[in-house]
Amino acid sequence: MSDARTTVSGAPASADERPRRGLVDRVLANRQIVLLALLIILCIGISIGSSSFYSVDNIVSILRQSAMVLIVATGMTLLLITGEVDLSVGASMAFTGAVAMAAMNNTDSLLLGILAGLAFGGAVGLFNGFVVTVLRVNSLIATIASLMILQGGVFVFTREAVQNHHQLPAFPGIGAGFVLGLPIPVVIAAVTFVVAWITLAKTTFGRRLFAVGGNPNAARLSGLRANRLKISAFLITGLLVGVTGLVLASLMNAGQPTAGRGFELIVVASVILGGTSLFGGEGTLIGTLLGVLILKVIDNGIIILGLNQDLQIVVPGVIIIVAVYLDQLRKKHHAT
Amino acid sequence: MQPDAAVMNRPAADGVPVLDVAGVSKAFPGVLALDDVSMTVRAGSVHALMGENGAGKSTLIKILAGAYAKDSGTIAIEGRPVDIRSPRDALDLGIKVVFQEISLIPEFSVAENIALEDLPVGPLGSVNWRRVRRDAAALFDRVGFRVDPAARTGDLPISQQQMVEIARAISQQARIVVMDEPTSSLTPTEIKLLFQVIRRLTGMGMAVIYVSHKLEEVFEIADTVTVLRDGALISTLPIGDHDQGSLIEHMVGRTIDELYPRKRAHDVGEPVLSVTGLTNAKLRDISLTARAGEVLGFFGLMGAGRTELAKAIVGYDRVHAGSVRVAGQELRPHNPARAVECGVGLLTEDRKEEGLVLGMSVMHNMSLPSIGRLSRAGFIDDREERRETEAYVGRLRIRTPDIERPIRNLSGGNQQKVLLSRWLMHGLKVIILDEPTRGIDIGAKTEIFALVDELAAQGLAVLMMSSEMPELLGLSDRIMVMANGRITAEMSRETANQEAILNAAIG
Repeated sequence: MSDARTTVSGAPASADERPRRGLVDRVLANRQIVLLALLIILCIGISIGSSSFYSVDNIVSILRQSAMVLIVATGMTLLLITGEVDLSVGASMAFTGAVAMAAMNNTDSLLLGILAGLAFGGAVGLFNGFVVTVLRVNSLIATIASLMILQGGVFVFTREAVQNHHQLPAFPGIGAGFVLGLPIPVVIAAVTFVVAWITLAKTTFGRRLFAVGGNPNAARLSGLRANRLKISAFLITGLLVGVTGLVLASLMNAGQPTAGRGFELIVVASVILGGTSLFGGEGTLIGTLLGVLILKVIDNGIIILGLNQDLQIVVPGVIIIVAVYLDQLRKKHHAT
Repeated sequence: MQPDAAVMNRPAADGVPVLDVAGVSKAFPGVLALDDVSMTVRAGSVHALMGENGAGKSTLIKILAGAYAKDSGTIAIEGRPVDIRSPRDALDLGIKVVFQEISLIPEFSVAENIALEDLPVGPLGSVNWRRVRRDAAALFDRVGFRVDPAARTGDLPISQQQMVEIARAISQQARIVVMDEPTSSLTPTEIKLLFQVIRRLTGMGMAVIYVSHKLEEVFEIADTVTVLRDGALISTLPIGDHDQGSLIEHMVGRTIDELYPRKRAHDVGEPVLSVTGLTNAKLRDISLTARAGEVLGFFGLMGAGRTELAKAIVGYDRVHAGSVRVAGQELRPHNPARAVECGVGLLTEDRKEEGLVLGMSVMHNMSLPSIGRLSRAGFIDDREERRETEAYVGRLRIRTPDIERPIRNLSGGNQQKVLLSRWLMHGLKVIILDEPTRGIDIGAKTEIFALVDELAAQGLAVLMMSSEMPELLGLSDRIMVMANGRITAEMSRETANQEAILNAAIG
């Protein structure tokens, strides 16, 4: 009765259920390839509609726009991997610019201005981290509250844009300058991206971020300091917001309190579009990069094709719903 | 357990066949989950369905429940071929499956849950709530449950929720009740009650399909046993034709000499763990000492505080008072990271919620506490991580095609072995095992028992919380019994017996 069966009883029946799929299925299952294809299709489509899409000026403008989003989106990816989110990044970015510019005006020092901006962004990150981990306020709520505090606070700080009084000439150079033919913000974004990529792929810190987001209870029982890891992710996001705030202020050569409205939505949208889970434990930076580029190319297309500019907010909204819906379909399809 | 006596207490299982499963197969991509399985279930009998995880039990009952469609074969009810395409079809045909996951709505009252599928509606479309409650109360009287029909379902213990599910099956005129591992979260008293209910159901002419891998229970309650292995039918026999050995052999495909091996010597070393006056919301002044090389068993009924003690020792739960020392070092309250550094690890009872990081691979799950050691200047040494993981996969015979496979694809037993390896790789002085064999098949169980023995032999202090008395008696050097958050008795291996333990557990 059991002769033939005895030999197979050792086979991993339940462990070997990975279905074999055709090439098409496998390609569609790979989100990055789908996003890359989408990006290419968008570029081709827009360039058919407008010959100026491939002009150097336009490409540089897309890259510069993308860079600012990517810098913050990189931090946001780490944060979402831990299962938290920060919606205060836009408001914090505007405040950072105003603080940095004011510090520069008061000290006449570029370095002190930059340090003040970074310190401000970092402090906001620490504050958010503290509220979420120690006070245990849900991060969605906590950072909406921070957003309100910062958005109102910046007007308490200054009613109008803080101008570059001393006209430090080096400052506008941060946003507008070039290194090796690349806009400086793009270089900053590239460095940030590569460092973060290595961190996630190769370091204990990156591994622990995934574990804390994937299962915080299991992570704690395995000896991981969950709160410390989450606060670190908030701090990193905050510092990167500081960097972006400086770049933005530099581009405008002023600290504009009304800047950055809706910025957090574009950042979160890019990260989600890139395939990072809102529930933690899952995410890729490559996806985030593609997400940022797609949204910014669409943005650009709307402008150079002469469409109604209000679509710049509408289209990403629609894309998020479609992206998340397709993701659910994919997950359902994979579950066996 | 005396199987013969148990069988004689009931009418012989020669009722008419109510359910005929003939040649049913079901394939999933890459695996044949059911291969030409046939089975006949008779009215008024308890038909046990046994097999290890992955044997095909759940696939079969999901087909009966209408959750999966069969690929081939026929199913007949009372001789009439039927086509079960949805859970609704199954219910209409009188098949009710009580799954491990309770399907009641926690916010509703017990009576509402029972009447949910078919509410008595008055002439104006309004629900007759009084009748709903009255019917539920009458039903409970009939089957002998003591559950308050007005209680909020979510407030009831799991055992009572299960009773409610069963009552709902009766109210829905079920002819065949399928119970999937019904005792996995029940206390011994509740199990007794459940068995009374099952006997009452069969007395009313219902057929019960009882899915389990607990041998003792099957010998007590079943009339007939069908064993599946790797999707194929191995045997269907009256329970009287089986003894424990033959049943295990059919399930795992080989003989298992000893369920509880004991290779280690009986000499016990220095105290490594001392707990003094540990108190919190669930624990009252717990003090104990565990020595190197001993297995210290903890028994208690549901809510006695076993799991809470385990979590308080490692600092996962808060404590109000008391201290924990490991090899002279004092642990800090509410700081599991410190416990892990000092060499105390907890294998949790809740693998999914507190053990596994489901999105991660086998390797990353296993190395989680050890990656600090496996790295240089913050960078993980991939090669060393892989080498150590593979060593444990080999040593514990973890069945996985490769170590980068997501952990969610492994069976419960193999997941548990990965979680045990997590601590072996890290290296511990004290390991706390909370229900280490819950939801695990016999083959993997014996391997885990052997491992527990080996860990103690290597000089670890092993604390083992379990609700399975045979397993505690088989493995422990000492047994502590808990009730209401206190330790109510301590027995040596020699003096411990089931009766004394139960008495102490009742408090």
